[in-house]
Parts: sequence; C-alpha cells; structure tokens
Amino acid sequence: MTIIALEMPGKPRVFARGWIRFLGLSPATCLLVFFFALPMGMMIGMSFHNPSSQGVSLLSYSRFFTDGLSLLGFWRTTLMSSLVAISATLLAYPVAYYLARSRGRWRSIVFAIALAPELAGVVLRTYGWLIILEDRGFINDVLLHAGLISSPLPLSKNLFAVVIGLTHVVLPFAILSLTTSIQGIDDNLERAAQILGAPRHAVVWHILLPLSVPGLISSFLLSFTMAASAYATPALLGGASFKVLATMISEQVLFYIDWSFAAVMANALLILMLVISYAGVRFEAGCRQKYQSVAGGMK
Amino acid sequence: MGRTRLIFTVSAFAVAALATPLRAETLVVNSYGGPYEAIIRKAIIEPFAQRTGIDVIYDPVGSASQDYAKIKATGGRPGFDVVVMTASQSLQGCKDGVLEKLDANSIPNLAKLSRRLTETAGPCGAVHEVQYMSLLYRTDKLATPPVSWSALASSDLAGRVVLPTFQNTMAIYLVEMFSLMNGGDLVDNLAPGFRAVAVIAKQSIGFEQSSAILESYIKDGTVWAMPFWSGRAQLLVDSGLSVDYVKPKEGTIPLVATLNIPIGAEHKDAARKFIDFFLEKTSQEAWVGGYKVGSARTDIDVPAAVKARQITSDADLNSLHLPNLTTVAERLPKWAEQWERDVVAHAN
Repeated sequence: MTIIALEMPGKPRVFARGWIRFLGLSPATCLLVFFFALPMGMMIGMSFHNPSSQGVSLLSYSRFFTDGLSLLGFWRTTLMSSLVAISATLLAYPVAYYLARSRGRWRSIVFAIALAPELAGVVLRTYGWLIILEDRGFINDVLLHAGLISSPLPLSKNLFAVVIGLTHVVLPFAILSLTTSIQGIDDNLERAAQILGAPRHAVVWHILLPLSVPGLISSFLLSFTMAASAYATPALLGGASFKVLATMISEQVLFYIDWSFAAVMANALLILMLVISYAGVRFEAGCRQKYQSVAGGMK
Repeated sequence: MGRTRLIFTVSAFAVAALATPLRAETLVVNSYGGPYEAIIRKAIIEPFAQRTGIDVIYDPVGSASQDYAKIKATGGRPGFDVVVMTASQSLQGCKDGVLEKLDANSIPNLAKLSRRLTETAGPCGAVHEVQYMSLLYRTDKLATPPVSWSALASSDLAGRVVLPTFQNTMAIYLVEMFSLMNGGDLVDNLAPGFRAVAVIAKQSIGFEQSSAILESYIKDGTVWAMPFWSGRAQLLVDSGLSVDYVKPKEGTIPLVATLNIPIGAEHKDAARKFIDFFLEKTSQEAWVGGYKVGSARTDIDVPAAVKARQITSDADLNSLHLPNLTTVAERLPKWAEQWERDVVAHAN
C-alpha cells in the first residue's frame, strides 16, 4: 500500500485577521438575532404581561399550572411527540439501513418512495388520513361491509389518528437523518464480525445499533420537535377532543386574543423541546463514553 | 428599426403619464369566501364599483376572529380597509381602540338602522345583516319536524348530531339557550346550559368549527340535526337538499354581523362610502334577497318568503334573546374552560 502525505506549505492564513473571520457568519447571525432571538425574547417578555393591569405579573403562569387543561395539553403534547418520534425512528431504521448499504437501481427507487410524501403538502396528507380514518372512512367502511365490526372503530379525532398522521409527516426526515448516520458506520465491521462467526442478529445488536446511537438520537429529536410544534395535523386529526399545546396556542392567539397566556404555552413548548434535546445529547454522550471505555478496555 | 423604437418609447411614456391620473381609487374589503363571496360580489361590490369608480379588492382570507386578531396585532393597520366581523368584535375593537368610530354624518344610512341593533354593535360597527341560530334538520330522516332545542338530546338523534366547537359562536349561544330553558339565564348562570349541552355531546359525533364542515355532515346524511345560522340554512334549502330549519319555540339568539373600518385603514373615505352603499335600501334588499339573511333596516321591501323566515322587522327582533355581548366577550375564556371540562370531556 502506498501512503501519500499531503503537506501544507505553511500555516493557513485564510481567517487570519480578527474581525474578518466573523464576516462569513454575520448574515446567519443577523438573521437569527432579528428573526429568532429577538422575537423569542419578546415572547418571553409577553408571558409576564398582565393584560388587565398592563403591568408585569405571573398571572398567566399561575393559570397555566392551575387550570388543569393547560397541563393536560402539555402532557398530551409530550406523549404524542414521544410516540411519533419512537414510531418514526423504528419505521425509518430498516429503510435507512437499506439506503445506506445498497448500491443498485432499487436504491434510487426506494429513496424516491421514501421522500415522495414530501411532494404533497402536510394539509393534503392529513386530509387523506382523515378520509381513511374517520367513522365513515375507508377502513371503517371496509370492516363494516365485511361484517367484522358492527359500529365504526374510533380511529379519528384522538391520539391514535394524530400519531399516525404525524408519523407519516416526519418519516422522510427520520429516514434521511438515519441514512446519513448509518453511512458513516464502516461496513467492514459488520463483515468482520460475520466472518468471525457472529450471527446476523448479534451483528445488529452488538455492532450496528451501538454505532447507530447518534443517528437514532438525532432521528428521535428531529421527529419529536417536529411533532411537538406541528399544528395542522393535530388540529385536523385530533379535533376538539384531542388538543395539544400547538392548537391551544392558536386558539389563545386567534380566538381569545390572550397573547400573554399563549406566550406562556409557547414557552412551555420551548422548554419541553430544550429538555428533551438536552437529555438526548447527554444520553448520546453517555453511550459514546461507555463504548470508548469498552473499546479502551479491550486494547 | 430606430423609428419603431422611438414610437414604442413615446407610446410607453404616454400610457404611463395618462395612467397615473386615471387610476381609480382602491378599496380592500376583507370578508368570507364560498357562497358569501359570490353573493357579495354580485349584490354589492359590482354595483358599488360601477357607481363610484372605486376598485374593490376582495380578500376572503381568514375568519372574523382571525381578522380581528390581525387588526389587533398590527395596531389597526391590517392591510384592509373594510372588514366583516360580528357585533361582539366591534365592541371589543372599539374598547381596544383599533376600530374607527362610525357616525351618521359621514355614513348617512347608519341613521336608518334599528336602534336596538346599532346599540348592540356599539359605535364602531355598522350592522349590515342579522341571522339567528336555527335548528337545521334532514326532512327525509325525521318523521316530524323538531320544534324545540330539546330535540337535539332525544334518543332518535343518537349519533346523528354534530356540535360546533367553542370557537364557533353557536357553541356559547347553544349553552345560553339551554341555560334559559333549564332555569338559568343568558350570562350570569350558565351551569344548567353546560349540563344540558353535555348530554347532547354524549350522543353527538363530535365537534367542528367551520360552518362549511358542519354543513357537509348534514349534506351527506351523517348528521340529521344541528344548530346552524339561518342564512346558510336557507341557502341549503334553496339548493334543493332534503333539509329545513326552524326557529324553536324557546326562541333563539341572533348573530349580528357588522362592517368595520380598522383605525389605521389606508382608504377611510372609500371605506365609509362602501359602508353607506351597503346600508342603502336597495343594497340591503339585494343582500337580503341574495344571502337570505335579515337586515337592520326595517323599511326594506323583501319577498314574503324571506320575510316569513328572516329578521326583517322590529317584532322579529323583539322575539330574539340578546345577551350583553360585552359581558359575553369578557367571560368567554372562563366559559371555554368550562366547555372543555363539562362538554368536550363527556363527548363520545
């Protein structure tokens, strides 16, 4: 084997001067400051506003924790997003593995099929699920005509419908996220294990899954945050009986014009996503540390 | 080639120079889509544009509550000059200082409106139509037409009723009506109303916000009876569908619709002209005949069929229950929580 060492003629001088190195970052920084950080700060400020006295108060926070309905919406959001993230990640993994490892003509076809849902808008796809799941929808009609049920199954306007609809929405993103991660795992490791006599399930359990943890975490986090902030799908498939924070925020903004309370709910949603993201990052770091120590012990 | 270019350039400058002084004034009107849009264009907007030469841009995006949220969020500069909302939003908008106060000096036809309705909408709203919450039912499914709101709770309609969500004004009106029927009142004691509507919720197929979706359930026969605005109910009857509607014996509550001008509207003069035109006798006759609603003008000539079913006289108005809309708006968030706990939680 020939090894070619590429040497640089000297110290790189591309971003040598102080302020010039930040020049490339400034457009994105400005965008984030004016269209993310500033509105976010305003929203946090608004959550302490008391519309009656026009002063500062914790009234909206107190209402959030005591009225019962807001906390119910918070738990529903957490449960719904967790189920969507788990379902999407589990469904995405085999597809992502196939896409990462295969090279043939079928790979392009599977890739196109995996991303095809994104060609139709979220609202269109959600209405499609409504037609399939509602009381007089496709599934209930078939089951009723076949005589398998006597009254329609409750498939829509509940958690089940929202999880199905949102899993469909976030699945392509989970597939893309996992594909990139699995592509980064050296397939020689799998081959080596199999040559040494490891059965396929042992290869998956002891090599593939541990090395896929960063991809699994990022797929979970991406799916969780997309589901938690989704509005159209919970509004259409959950209806009045299954309200989550996103739909409750919309009601407070548009119908009750209580922006302070809406801001409290939005903050709660933001904190939920930050906590889950932090937990995911810590978990991934923990896993990495564990496998590094195992690998170190084997040396 | 050079001559052609010269002629083209001179023509372009001439057109540009002439176009500026001849450009008509523009008015942006925000209202609803669907059948409403088709009727308002024909009955009001086209005749108005013909008479005044003002170009009207029709913006059908958003419900009345979304429009009001936009007005409030923009400090009265939402990008439209006239908006169709309800008396409740007119009162709130006036209180919040985001709607223009209207007077008979600049809009003479305001003086021709029923005083009771004008007072209901407050100084910022021009009442251009009145509907009422009716009981809509399928004539081919119910052996006898319902005469009372209690029909919605009867076992004959189990699984054949749909209710509005709380974001639809009909929800609180229904609670208020059932409250009146069960010993409560329109504003101060709604507990009996919530209890009664919870019983209906148990046998309903669920809740829907938009009138268009509510309408679709009765059209396809999924639902056999539901509360619905009288004007749209009449349009369904006229379409030949096997439906009819009644004003139940316990009475009902009106939906008072208003025309409003946001405080920062760009074309206020044109907006006032538009409102005055809409309130003219002939325009109101065209609107009542077209959209099948009632009017705040009691001097209009309307077909007997419309007169028999819509609100067109003081006597009709007096037969309706009219809650204090300011109090209703103040208590709405509390009632919304009660609706979630007492009604939605009991639904199937």
